[in-house]
Amino acid sequence: MGRSTLEGRFRVIDVSPDEVAEVVRELFEDGCYYATGMGVDERPLNGRFAVYHAINCPKRGVYVILRLTAPENRPSVPSITPVLRGAEWAEREAHDMVGVTFENHPNLERLILPEDWPDGVYPLRKDFPYNRKMAGTEGTAGVRGERHDEATMSVPLGPYHPLLHEPEYFELYVREDRIVGADYRGFHVHRGMEKLAESRMTLNQIPFLAERICGICGCTHSAAYCQAVEEAAGVEVPERALYIRSLMLEVERIHSHLLWFGVACHLLGFDSGFMHFWRAREYVMDIAELITGNRKTYGINLVGGVRRDLSGEKIQKTLKLLELAEGESREVIDNVVGMKELIARMEGVGVLRRKDAREIGVVGPVARASGIDTDVRRDHPYAAYGDLDFKVPVYRGCDVLSRFLVRVDETFESFSLVRQILENLPDGEIINEEYSLPYMEFGLGSTEAPRGEDVHMVLTGGENQVYRWHPRAPTYNNLPAVPLMLEGEDVADAPIIIASIDPCFSCTDHVSIVDAGSGRVLWRGPLLEGVERLRR
Amino acid sequence: METRVEDYRKLVKRSLWVFHLNSGSCNGCDIEILNVFAPRNDVERLGIKLVGSPRHADAIALTGPVTRECLPKVVDAIKAVPEPKIVLAIGACACGGGIWYDTYSVVGGVKELYRIMKEEYGMEAPPTVFIPGCPPKPEAIIYGVAVAKGMIEPKQRRMVYVEEGGGDELARMLEEVNGLRHFSAGFKVRRDVNGT
Repeated sequence: MGRSTLEGRFRVIDVSPDEVAEVVRELFEDGCYYATGMGVDERPLNGRFAVYHAINCPKRGVYVILRLTAPENRPSVPSITPVLRGAEWAEREAHDMVGVTFENHPNLERLILPEDWPDGVYPLRKDFPYNRKMAGTEGTAGVRGERHDEATMSVPLGPYHPLLHEPEYFELYVREDRIVGADYRGFHVHRGMEKLAESRMTLNQIPFLAERICGICGCTHSAAYCQAVEEAAGVEVPERALYIRSLMLEVERIHSHLLWFGVACHLLGFDSGFMHFWRAREYVMDIAELITGNRKTYGINLVGGVRRDLSGEKIQKTLKLLELAEGESREVIDNVVGMKELIARMEGVGVLRRKDAREIGVVGPVARASGIDTDVRRDHPYAAYGDLDFKVPVYRGCDVLSRFLVRVDETFESFSLVRQILENLPDGEIINEEYSLPYMEFGLGSTEAPRGEDVHMVLTGGENQVYRWHPRAPTYNNLPAVPLMLEGEDVADAPIIIASIDPCFSCTDHVSIVDAGSGRVLWRGPLLEGVERLRR
Repeated sequence: METRVEDYRKLVKRSLWVFHLNSGSCNGCDIEILNVFAPRNDVERLGIKLVGSPRHADAIALTGPVTRECLPKVVDAIKAVPEPKIVLAIGACACGGGIWYDTYSVVGGVKELYRIMKEEYGMEAPPTVFIPGCPPKPEAIIYGVAVAKGMIEPKQRRMVYVEEGGGDELARMLEEVNGLRHFSAGFKVRRDVNGT
């Protein structure tokens, strides 16, 4: 092993191609899981391509970053997918966007870019201008991986479907009303964000861009980005700023969970529940508007601190609104949890066993509902969470009901956290702008988003810019579990099962995604069926 | 064109059924659209309703920039909405492509979408209400619907009069605006020769 830098949250290790598989195997056996990976075009610096694999070791509270490089004329490194399945997409993504080849990868197919994107054009290489529009080529015809017998029908779900609020496409294989298999095809919402960030945006504009990764959990993305840059540049953040960050992250979690409860009720055919949850949620939106000036996309985080302070009057108003929100949420949730019909629709449905959950590396409430005790707020404390007191709910039911209950407990933990923060808010500055940006320094920031672990990796660049920024949203890790949850279930339960991971496709697609799960060749057609449905 | 405007006037007097079309949005606008239907604002009392199929819709609530991948599907969905129809372009991205207006994987906002619809599919652009914001508040969305219904005058005028002499610079700038990819109200510049 070569050079290693020890930081508080992460450790960067240069590994040689021969030993990477062995290192990864050792880490995996030690209880670590694959967090994310990125390819970097480092040719302007050293004439090489680099691949960064981030592996989360929750037991030790550290992320291990394995850095592999390959020469310009032969951009090829060994794949670690055969050892650690979680790396499959990250490697395909790096192949698609940067053009690094992974030897012995089981399925190195196109992942992110549209079907008619020309071969050999890699948007995240430095010589590709961010605003170049590529003319389409003749797309290859759709290849469906799995052939089914005649008794099996395929049911398209999407890209526009009454129960999906985002353009995504699921194909369910159905035999006598039972789902026997499912495929997923995404990245309709790929907007070229990473390229935009490194080309057109400056360091402190990116938090606003990061916030637009997702309109529901945007604050957590901007916080993760800011933390990554703060780690890289060694910025001291004032304590008051850390508390305000935590405050907004918890406000966001409450709004996101209440939103999800509403949507879940709607999908289960209980529209009154949707209305009541969203009524209670309005008070949380008011809190956000009071503190930040906007109901969503708060724009509160900057590198080194936050943009807005909190006056005593605002704290009093917030506490009043919080009481209203908590009282109403409590009442609605108590009613919903007491409804036998709803519980019956969720209990034992969409089971994800603990063993499968570990292998796939699911995060957030999905992991906690399958008996995995994980929470970034506790395992890798950030913002003010080290000082705060909260419980991490874990359920062992592995079904949709458990995921519901995990979120119920979390919501009330968050109410308590907001109170703790407001009561213990330290005095002082809210931003530290006295820092200088180093050149080519690596930083990693992670947060516990409402949906699970967010990981952002940053390589700083000169002239107030980043050289490379790679965000990874929790849905990226949770989606491959969906086909497993769907198998053997009724078609009528498909929407609630898909929704039970609280998928956020815009988060996931900012860069990439896809896949079916069990090593199947995925559906790569122009989604003819889905479109046909609209024409009919 | 005149008959289309007449049809459209008739349409908006009745209950407006809306199909929500997400062309690559970040969800911010989408949850605010749902919020408009939640108890605090509750636009269903005004006869406005979300429908599951474009075939049943009078209006399209378009959110997000149009991504490359979504383009053909968005065009198909718009095609499936029967005439007369209106488009509510909700949020900065739908209005003009937003922060990603010129990246490699984004086509742009409605302006670019309509240009492609016209050039490649031969479709006329439907009447459009622009509701900017990131995301627009529920109140702003309701305001936009009120504009569509003719209850409130739109804030932006489409016709700009320029007096002879002196105003040439402004006229040139306004004409330039029409050529940009960003949201603009589609100004028509009229040179007022005789001061009438």
